[in-house]
Amino acid sequence: MSETMANDYLDCLLNALPADSRNSGAQDTLDWLRRLRNEAIDQAGRLRFPTVKDEEWRFTDVSPLAKLPYKPAQKTNALRLSDIQPFCIAESAHRLVFVDGFFSPGLSRLSEDDQFVIGNLTAPALTKAPLAEAHLGQHVQFRDNFFAALNTAFLQDGALIVLPENCAVSAPIHLLYIATQEQTTQYPRCLLIGERSSQATVIEDYVALGANTYITNSVAEFSLADNAQVNHIRVQRESGNAFHLASSAVALEQGSQYRSVSITLGALISRFNLDVEFNAQAAECAIDGLAMITGRQLADTHTRIDHAKPHCTSHQQHKCIVDDSSHAVFNGKIIVRPHAQRTNSSQSSRNLLLSGKAQIDTKPQLEIFADDVKCAHGATVGQLDNEEIFYLKSRGLNELTARNLLTYAFGAEILDRIPVPSLKHTLEQAILNQTTQNS
Amino acid sequence: MNINQNPIILNVDNLHASIQDTEILKGINLTVRSGEIHAIMGLNGSGKSTFAKVLAGHPDYHVTQGSIQYEQQDLLELSAEERAQAGVFLAFQYPIEIPGVANSQFLRLAYNTVQAKRGKEELDPLEFDDFVREKMKLLEMKPDFLDRSVNEGFSGGEKKRNEILQMALLEPKLGILDETDSGLDIDALKIVAKGVNHLHNTDNAIILITHYQRLLDHIVPDFVHVMEAGRIIKTGGKELALELETHGYDWIHNDQKRAAGAST
Amino acid sequence: MSAALQNLVNQPYKHGFVTDIESYVAPKGLNEETIRLISAKKDEPEWLLNFRLEAFQKWLTMTEPHWQNVKYPKIDFQAISYYAAPKPKNKLASMDEVDPELLRTFEKLGVPMHERAALAGVAVDVIFDSVSVATTYKEKLAEVGIIFCSISEAVHNHPELVRQYLGTVVPVGDNFFAALNSAVFTDGSFCYIPKGVKCPMDLSTYFRINTQDSGQFERTLIIAEEGASVSYLEGCTAPQFDTNQLHAAVVELVALDHADIKYSTVQNWYAGDENGVGGIYNFVTKRGLAKGINSRISWTQVETGSAITWKYPSCILRGDNSIGEFYSVAVTNHHQQADTGTKMIHIGKNTRSTIISKGISAGKSNSSYRGLVRIAPTAENARNFSQCDSMLVGDQSGAHTFPYIQVRNNSAKVEHEASTSKIGEDQLFYLAQRGIDAEEAVSMIVNGFCKEVFQQLPMEFAVEATKLLSFKLENSVG
Repeated sequence: MSETMANDYLDCLLNALPADSRNSGAQDTLDWLRRLRNEAIDQAGRLRFPTVKDEEWRFTDVSPLAKLPYKPAQKTNALRLSDIQPFCIAESAHRLVFVDGFFSPGLSRLSEDDQFVIGNLTAPALTKAPLAEAHLGQHVQFRDNFFAALNTAFLQDGALIVLPENCAVSAPIHLLYIATQEQTTQYPRCLLIGERSSQATVIEDYVALGANTYITNSVAEFSLADNAQVNHIRVQRESGNAFHLASSAVALEQGSQYRSVSITLGALISRFNLDVEFNAQAAECAIDGLAMITGRQLADTHTRIDHAKPHCTSHQQHKCIVDDSSHAVFNGKIIVRPHAQRTNSSQSSRNLLLSGKAQIDTKPQLEIFADDVKCAHGATVGQLDNEEIFYLKSRGLNELTARNLLTYAFGAEILDRIPVPSLKHTLEQAILNQTTQNS
Repeated sequence: MNINQNPIILNVDNLHASIQDTEILKGINLTVRSGEIHAIMGLNGSGKSTFAKVLAGHPDYHVTQGSIQYEQQDLLELSAEERAQAGVFLAFQYPIEIPGVANSQFLRLAYNTVQAKRGKEELDPLEFDDFVREKMKLLEMKPDFLDRSVNEGFSGGEKKRNEILQMALLEPKLGILDETDSGLDIDALKIVAKGVNHLHNTDNAIILITHYQRLLDHIVPDFVHVMEAGRIIKTGGKELALELETHGYDWIHNDQKRAAGAST
Repeated sequence: MSAALQNLVNQPYKHGFVTDIESYVAPKGLNEETIRLISAKKDEPEWLLNFRLEAFQKWLTMTEPHWQNVKYPKIDFQAISYYAAPKPKNKLASMDEVDPELLRTFEKLGVPMHERAALAGVAVDVIFDSVSVATTYKEKLAEVGIIFCSISEAVHNHPELVRQYLGTVVPVGDNFFAALNSAVFTDGSFCYIPKGVKCPMDLSTYFRINTQDSGQFERTLIIAEEGASVSYLEGCTAPQFDTNQLHAAVVELVALDHADIKYSTVQNWYAGDENGVGGIYNFVTKRGLAKGINSRISWTQVETGSAITWKYPSCILRGDNSIGEFYSVAVTNHHQQADTGTKMIHIGKNTRSTIISKGISAGKSNSSYRGLVRIAPTAENARNFSQCDSMLVGDQSGAHTFPYIQVRNNSAKVEHEASTSKIGEDQLFYLAQRGIDAEEAVSMIVNGFCKEVFQQLPMEFAVEATKLLSFKLENSVG
């Protein structure tokens, strides 16, 4: 049944496409891109729409989505700079804005003298097209990930960041994805190629105007060459009625370092897959996440760190603050392949349940095939520590303030790792508001 | 400097050793006779600890050149446990933790294995308990220490005392103390030194590896060697350690330069 | 060191014993007729036949599970004979006829002298009167009202008890192998501890001598009435050999108010040779229902044998304040595969559970911990602590940890920790420097690693288990 479901779903979506965009192709569609899309359409047709019977989707029921084949969003030019002002980040000198998935040059800010390339992935005049072709769709596993296949199939615009060798971009690059349309699907995309010893900080930011119901199906790919260093901050603050389905894939070469902080606040149902692949020795990653949800939200984070090569290090901390009837899911898999000796990996899943109806499903997993490794994981689920509450009360705080303070502190540990002060401050405020609101 | 004609326990000749193709020891020569205490000093990375590990037979280090004679045997022919059984004892700079294994169990197994190899009597748990408690008094150790896991959760001082206790049990011919003074407060240092002095006699020898003069105030060496870049670059009596303490290691270079200048 | 590892890995299996069992063997295959035949041969009451038939009907609709992290060729369930009536063994006349290798194994493991003969298949009356030993035990137990017999006997002598509890903890259609067992189980043990009775002895020694041939579909049912307590030991440190490759046992435990059941297992079935040929598939469903308030169910297992071990001794903590415990050591070598762990289902208020799992993988073996901790919405103030440590010996083995934590009540507190490590070369060098050889050193480190679990075993078995572990890993490091 689910296969038919997937096919029906896909057919619905495909039918919604303008007739010329699949085969005959608009004039501006690059050949390689068209080939990739077609392959993805075929893959999506072959894959099943996931159900709770799939181990990877056990706790996240996306079947409502199968009944909502929201057609792809249409390009609009309705937004003005003042509309996006609240989302702008002071420190960032470079900003790419995508409205409902479509690149908006007018809202974006690109500095002229840049030695690095930043722009729309599918622009015909793209100077780095061969590089984009070599990487796009090569890191994300769209061959076994239904939603990533759909994203690739419906790929229109996307962010492309190419950091040349030894190029260090000091100001953060802000990728702002704004959803404005009701009952549509947007397909944001991002590709970052960091060449040798390059450095950058990228903020991938999902926001919405209004409380629309829509689907965001996004994919981000990061490829880091030898000794490249990238900070990736991912903020999901979609509308409370939205569905957010996202995949990030990170490929790391020798000595490269990837640090990410993913903050999940929005969407009714969200699912974020993060795959990190160590393709060479001595690379490092630090992956942190915070999901703070309330109402009837469901936030699902699946991560997979693949130690395919020796001497690599990974550290992960994922936290969930779950209130009301919301439901948080975490599945963290660490694989250490044969011969990936001297791997050092740690993972911690910490969960705070604020209400009697909130739910947590956490599953940290280790799969180890090499003996000379240091791997550890831990998971805790609980409520606020009564001793800590008592301590604060004994210093004169009332119960509520004490609880709010501790809840905030629980989340702030992750926010502290965001190296962009203004964004950190904004998110701290958001969390603070949420804590106090609930009391 | 003592003139000692006692039998030679250890003779190291032109010793070169590497770890993963990096040469650390580059031609060490050293003769140790019974009854002697030798101190080896030098900066971090000079090869002191490597030398200690090579003497004890650590599998990560490969001897590429030279020889080590110990009590008329080729020491390099022996495995680590055979060296231990033959009386070579290394007090580790960082003693290893073995979770879940009770110290008493470990100590008795080590003691009985070595006793058996030496053709001496093994002790049953009760006899051993009496025996080890006697030795523990020497190092002022608390009895509960026997029930704890080997080195697990021990303070730095407790670990070092545990090393010397093992030395007391195994009665080595050649005791090598690798930075046994590091991490010890002055009281613990005195206790450890007292233990070592108690164990030292005319039939055995001790090599002390240390950064500082401090330990040598309490265990007085017959010889002091200075190591640098994998070689012994200067040898003297106990006064050498004091000069190093006062003038620092650079002083040796200057001293050597002066000597070199004078000779030309 | 790695050469030494190779040595350990290549150590030959010390053989168990093989006895030719002449027996009546039913034709191969499974259908309703086979089940009626089993039931008839055992002269069972109709309700039990119906129980079997219901299970069989369920089984027909089920498919063999493959989610576990083990690989094996497809089992042809129609190629198995489901009923074999054991005939008396071909007894050896005296201890002199026993394979000296086996005797050495017993000695190494420290199996008590009086049991060696029985285990080796020597006609026991040559050595001692086992009947009188068994009778003595039985009399002692009967004095306090404890029923301890084979489940077949219990079906005839205490049908009301069996009928009341059989299949209540593991329903007939619980899973594929449990359904199969429910349809075709041949024998097993039954134990009933009446209200307020503390079983005066571990039900172990007796069991060891008497239930060697309970067959491949074993069924065990233990009931502890209000305030009762019992410690039960299954299995044996001596290697066990069986011609049946598939073993699918079901064990059900029921603890009523304030009752306490401690169930310990030492599993040393034939594991196959160093190339992974042969060996038992041990697919077991074990579950305890802590039904009453303040009840406790505690599982301790030392799993060293079988080509494939697949079992999750579980606790359903229904009674308020009930306690569930799982202590496990799983050792795999050569090509062995073990996927084991537990489920702790918290339903009652203030329920507590503890999970301590130690996995050791050597050779080309794979060992997985798979566990579920579920806190139901009703389980106010539930607590769980889990610790799962893995140790790898050699660079060709694998260790895996799959903990599932599902929390539906915010007053719960769940903590899980896991680590993977190897036997440190530093540790081996340190011990070598104290004169201890590698084999001894490995044994010492591994037993230290497993200490928290061995502490849970009854005394004499703790000693044997310690030796068993060293024995399993003999020559695996040098």
